[in-house]
Amino acid sequence: MSQEMLVLLAKSLWETTYMVAVSSFISALLGIPLGIILVTTNKGHILENAPLNRILGAIVNATRSTPFIILMVAIIPVTRLLVGTSIGTNAAIVPLSIAAIPFVARIVESALKEVDYGVIEAAQAMGASPREIITKVLIPESLPAIVLGLTLTIISLIGYSAMAGAIGGGGLGDLAIRYGYQRFRADIMLITVVILIAQVQIVQSTGDYISNRLNKK
Amino acid sequence: MITLQDIEKVYQSDNGTIHALRGVNLSVKQGEIFGIIGTSGAGKSTLVRCINMLESPTKGIVTVDGQELTSLNEQELREQRKKIGMIFQHFNLLSSRTVYQNIAFPLELAKRSKEEIDKEVLHLLELVGLSDKKDQYPAQLSGGQKQRVGIARALANHPKVLLCDEATSALDPQTTKSILELLKDINRKFQLTIVLITHEMQVIKEICNQVAVIEGGKIIEQGKVIDIFTQPQSNTTKEFISSIINHNLPDFFKEITLASEPSADSNLILRLSFIGHSTEEPVISSMIRRFAIDASILYGNIDHIQTIPFGTLIVELSGEQASLQQALSYLKTRELGIEVIGYVARNARAIG
Repeated sequence: MSQEMLVLLAKSLWETTYMVAVSSFISALLGIPLGIILVTTNKGHILENAPLNRILGAIVNATRSTPFIILMVAIIPVTRLLVGTSIGTNAAIVPLSIAAIPFVARIVESALKEVDYGVIEAAQAMGASPREIITKVLIPESLPAIVLGLTLTIISLIGYSAMAGAIGGGGLGDLAIRYGYQRFRADIMLITVVILIAQVQIVQSTGDYISNRLNKK
Repeated sequence: MITLQDIEKVYQSDNGTIHALRGVNLSVKQGEIFGIIGTSGAGKSTLVRCINMLESPTKGIVTVDGQELTSLNEQELREQRKKIGMIFQHFNLLSSRTVYQNIAFPLELAKRSKEEIDKEVLHLLELVGLSDKKDQYPAQLSGGQKQRVGIARALANHPKVLLCDEATSALDPQTTKSILELLKDINRKFQLTIVLITHEMQVIKEICNQVAVIEGGKIIEQGKVIDIFTQPQSNTTKEFISSIINHNLPDFFKEITLASEPSADSNLILRLSFIGHSTEEPVISSMIRRFAIDASILYGNIDHIQTIPFGTLIVELSGEQASLQQALSYLKTRELGIEVIGYVARNARAIG
């Protein structure tokens, strides 16, 4: 393989890693609070608020049911507003994050629902405020499940990021399409696929390891 | 220390309204161990949760330590809750925290300093006998040990009241005993008022001073444990008590005919019940010495409610009719509960 190809590969690898890392971070930052709100505003929970719960649930569902490739194109105006352009790696981060936020929210929601309500009740009996219940009970108790959920999110984002090539986002997926498929470079195709598999493996193993270390059950 | 006035609790569910509590009145004095017993669905869990307002009553007034809880806002209520400890059937410990950190939790909520927390937690660990387990996680503990952590956690803020929600129902009899011992100890040491709910009469008998029986959201009977045990009024109470003390006639009485009036040739069958120091008096032997009668014991049982002994004896007296009546009047002068079960024809029974 030529020197040029290696540089191209390294660049693509960096782009994928960058896109996935930033959008994972943003989706965790916004998705985790959203998931917490979804759980705690549920009927009978510590911050019961049925209208808010229903509205957020509907938004989350709407976003989640839109196919990523369509979402990406549909929100181009928003992307342009946020990053000034609709093309490139930074532009790709916007739809990636928007697609992943509700995903994270649902994952966090199901992780928090696993926390035994008795434990929440015990904290209430000790005079804990809703805020203390969230930070000292709900999150620590469900952290192993949240970590596994975030792992799943990162892996999904690696997959989605391959589609970002469609708006010139770059990355390994883009490389595989443009060189591997359109220029019949089977070697490039093979090597990008191998790198993508390796990335997923590393993320999954790291996630499993951290989750296991946190799990005291 | 605790008063509940006309507490009502109504739930709205999809299947209509559920009336969990229908006008409950209770008063618990400082230092008492107050038991509330009822079958599942009787409303006892709801009742105990009304005391710390985990469930806010639909109607009625809850007062704990002179503070009316039903009139407080959320913030004030949280402050008051820190003075009320609670332990649970399923312990409800934080699985992500060690034993030490679990006990420290309520102290963190009360914004105590690290040094204070450390001192307090180590002291509590010693009190519940778990000093060697401080860095273990709840998953590594047995049920009894988990409940000890629960108790230590509940006591951390020096509460005035401890609420126990079926605290021993998930434990084996041996462990139940040791947890009850610990509660009794704490009650004595700190003059702590304890309210416990249970469906096991054994628990009431072991440690409570006062008991209330709840059924269908209402208190149907309440009083001193010794009184409720020796003179239960309602059928529900009798059923609970019969699980540990037999008030029924032994089965073999069903096969013999009992007459309510004496005949020339009959023996008298009596049930005597003894409470407290009258158990120590040799009533039967002095009766036999005084009157020309014989006594044979058909059934006997002596038990203790905490330190008070009480017993039941079913005896058959035989002799001349006149002597039997004299013996009966003699017994009536003693401090005993007497119930004439009936008269049987002599030699009617195979035994005795």
